[in-house]
Amino acid sequence: MLKAENIVSFRQYLVAIGITWFLIFILLARFFQIQVLGHDRYKEKANTNRIRKVTTTAPRGLILDRNGQIIVDNLPTYVLTAIPGELSEKGEKFGLISNTIGLDSLTVTKNYKKYYRGKFIPTRLAKDLTFHQISKLEENRLNLEGVYYQQVLERYFPSKVRASHILGYLKEVDKTVRQSLEKRNEYELGDMIGWNGLEKKYESYLKGKRGIYFYEVDAFGREVGHVTELQPQNPEPGQNIVTTLDIHVQKILENLMTGKRGVILVGIPKTGEILGAVSSPDYKPDLFTGLMLEQEWDRVLNHPDKPLINRFLQGLYPPGSIIKMVTAATLLKNPDFDPNMVQQCKGVYQFGDRLFGCWLDQGHGEMDLTAAMVNSCDVYFYKTIHYFDLDELSKSFKSFGFSQPTKIDISGESNGIVPTTAFMNKLHGRYGWSRGALLNICIGQGELLVTPIQVLNYINLLASRGKAPVPHFVMVDRLPENSRPKFESSDWDRLITDMRQAVADKNGTGKSAQPNISGLKVYGKTGTAENPHGENHAWFTGWCKVDDQNYSIVVLLENAGSGSAVAAPMVRKVFSQMFSQDGLAVK
Amino acid sequence: MRKSQSFDFREVPVTIIWAVVLLTVVGLIVLKSISQHNSGAFLHNPFFKQIIFLIPALIGAIGVLYIPRYSIHKYAYAIYALGIILVLLPFYGNPHAGTYRWLNIGFSLSIQPSEFAKVFIIISLARYLSDHNLQMKNFTSIIIPIIMVLIPTAIVMNQPDLGTAIVMLAPVLPMLYWSGARPFYLFLVLAPLLSMLTAFHNIAFTIWAFVLGLTIVIARPNRLMSIGLFFGNIFLGLFSPFLWNSLTPYQQGRIITFINPEVDPLGAAYQIIQSKTAIGSGGIFGKGWGEGTQTHLKFLPVQESDFILSVIGEELGFISVSIILILFGFLISQVVKHSFFSKDRFSSLALIGFATVLLSHVFVNTAMTVGLIPVKGLPFPFISAGGSFLIASYLMIGFILKLSVNYTE
Repeated sequence: MLKAENIVSFRQYLVAIGITWFLIFILLARFFQIQVLGHDRYKEKANTNRIRKVTTTAPRGLILDRNGQIIVDNLPTYVLTAIPGELSEKGEKFGLISNTIGLDSLTVTKNYKKYYRGKFIPTRLAKDLTFHQISKLEENRLNLEGVYYQQVLERYFPSKVRASHILGYLKEVDKTVRQSLEKRNEYELGDMIGWNGLEKKYESYLKGKRGIYFYEVDAFGREVGHVTELQPQNPEPGQNIVTTLDIHVQKILENLMTGKRGVILVGIPKTGEILGAVSSPDYKPDLFTGLMLEQEWDRVLNHPDKPLINRFLQGLYPPGSIIKMVTAATLLKNPDFDPNMVQQCKGVYQFGDRLFGCWLDQGHGEMDLTAAMVNSCDVYFYKTIHYFDLDELSKSFKSFGFSQPTKIDISGESNGIVPTTAFMNKLHGRYGWSRGALLNICIGQGELLVTPIQVLNYINLLASRGKAPVPHFVMVDRLPENSRPKFESSDWDRLITDMRQAVADKNGTGKSAQPNISGLKVYGKTGTAENPHGENHAWFTGWCKVDDQNYSIVVLLENAGSGSAVAAPMVRKVFSQMFSQDGLAVK
Repeated sequence: MRKSQSFDFREVPVTIIWAVVLLTVVGLIVLKSISQHNSGAFLHNPFFKQIIFLIPALIGAIGVLYIPRYSIHKYAYAIYALGIILVLLPFYGNPHAGTYRWLNIGFSLSIQPSEFAKVFIIISLARYLSDHNLQMKNFTSIIIPIIMVLIPTAIVMNQPDLGTAIVMLAPVLPMLYWSGARPFYLFLVLAPLLSMLTAFHNIAFTIWAFVLGLTIVIARPNRLMSIGLFFGNIFLGLFSPFLWNSLTPYQQGRIITFINPEVDPLGAAYQIIQSKTAIGSGGIFGKGWGEGTQTHLKFLPVQESDFILSVIGEELGFISVSIILILFGFLISQVVKHSFFSKDRFSSLALIGFATVLLSHVFVNTAMTVGLIPVKGLPFPFISAGGSFLIASYLMIGFILKLSVNYTE
């Protein structure tokens, strides 16, 4: 059976040995190629394979008032996450979670689907949980395998003021937001970014620098340890910003404006600092933080008074008589104009075939410039319009900063309108308007539209004789250049004394603005602006002088009536509350 | 005392034993590294599992030494039948992960019958080809052994286990060559395969057609056969795209990914990339035992069996890989040498068969880990974890040792 002899030739043997070593050689050559020649490349590949970079967000800078009181703080809240790969019986667990913390189980499921990115990547189930809710969950820990929580910092408003239009809010960076950002590399999905107000304007200061650390992962993306050879970078907290706001003043303004529509601004003309600013109605500053219920959002969005609109920045109003100082200054520029010359006011003035009335139907009688300012006589100004033309007047308006942004440190300002010849030609056609338009514009009506913040800048410039810096909310080293109205020193004196008279005189329209505080003098001008939305807007703008320090004020009450009857008393309330105690609110 | 057999243990080639011992120890060292962080059950630890399976493997190998040579020859066809039955059995059980490779033998243990069938086929082939009446000049003498191999191969391919099927098929040509078949006939056997492979590439197919024609002209078979051969192959080539469509998407996927790895970066290509990264990052001296990041962070797939050489490459470096491959070359050369010096044709053929099986395992597995050929689920002999494979490998060594010893009856 085994008789057949081996007949293999030596040649066959050599072929077999040759093939064997040839194949072994091929393999060795390939290993040499990969391991020796390609070593550097693969070494780097192996490193990037296992090392993951993780960034941690830095705590955002705080927002303080001028005295160092915290207006915007950070509050730790908790985010509940689950690692899908470690989660079994999802339905039961989500049910347990929602029962424990009192949340709709549908929300939990919805979040889970929305944020799911991978089997071993923490997936957000709920955010803004309190310590109390977390401790309740901790009691059920054994039934919640695969569920984790993380602490995150959220904006928190410890002071009594709202200041929502000033502070603004944060927004979570999602894909659309990130696309729209200029420095999009500095943001990751899920980060918070200042989206409005000071939070937006001073984002680069508040943001801080994120921390970076590296960890080693396995092929499933699970964290298995830190990487010792790469130094972690700790997050750098954002810088705090000190605002010009005074919590005390802001609180007074907010209280006085409760239930009213309009604006109050209080500032310091010399520095341009704003002590308090209210656009009413407003909203709670934490409206955009944390859990917002849909109906709450709808209520804010669909409110007829539009609380989301920042009235002092975006609102466009006819100014009415509060701009008569501009008209007066324009008159004084003309050497032919004599301020002591008397004009007769009979309550009505005929220009061409049209009748223009004074606000006082029976007329003011004989008026010089001071009297016209004190009584806010319209006819006096109608009768003097031949001393200037439209472009001269609009130049004066512009020199006080109207029809241009004030460069205040919150973005979204409206420009306002100061009509010029070119503007009127464009609007009405070359022959569609006449010089009569000046009659409206010189008393702050007609095409003229201003924002309250422009009015504050205007009044600051008046109080400082044209030297006030731009109004601002945050203490900064360098401010943008402000408009510089230039008038004779005697003209400034006249305008300022006339404004004092408008409050101090027994006939003064602004007399109810003066509080009964010794050493406190109010200067100002009322305005009653006719507008297409119903009742007149009530204006008062001016300042009070206390111990050689001026505090400017702008009051606008929408559709509230006359400036003299409504706005001026409001000014009195503001100043008397601000300066009621010995220790002045303002330091 | 008269010896019942003149088998002398002192004649057993010790060099082969040393090579196997060294390879097994290397395997255990690497498996120990892989198992370092294994906190699972004792039986799920590849290192301990391998040690436990070494016991039946050694018993099997030593047991083979006690089987008389004539019995091996006598029952060759019987164990061939047994091999066929073994590879068919898994189809009557439950599939494991969608395949019929495993046979449950109770005690939560499974064996892979194809591993044993591989050994049995070689013995039966050796028996058939060593028949001294066989006229190797006839083409039919080639056809029958090929059919003998194709039957179990086709079954294994359907399990499906492409890797084992290839290894099973591998010994047939060397054994035919060893038994004196005309190389031209072997070329004829290979020709249809090459026709099919080149059919997917126009230039390759043209070159192949030229080579085919040239070979036929040189070998000068009769005119009718020449024409039949040439056009038969060309038609087969033209027909192969239709054959391609009959492959399972799983098989197609593996071939496509090999040709263009970017098609499927997270499937088979992912495995090749991670394997190459592991090997390449190891460098000349390796990262050190137990220090392989690719291995221990589980980037490297099936690291205890199919990709164990990548672990060695990463942790122990090019030097160790070279030593292992050269050691293997040496082991196979030794077997080939004993085959050449064997006195009877049966032993010689069986030895060259075993040598081919071992070499094809080493080549296919290693070439796969370095991305030279598509991913095949094939382990590395003596080093990779795997009970059935370890036992089958040791059985082969038992047969090699047994048949290497020349004796006179």
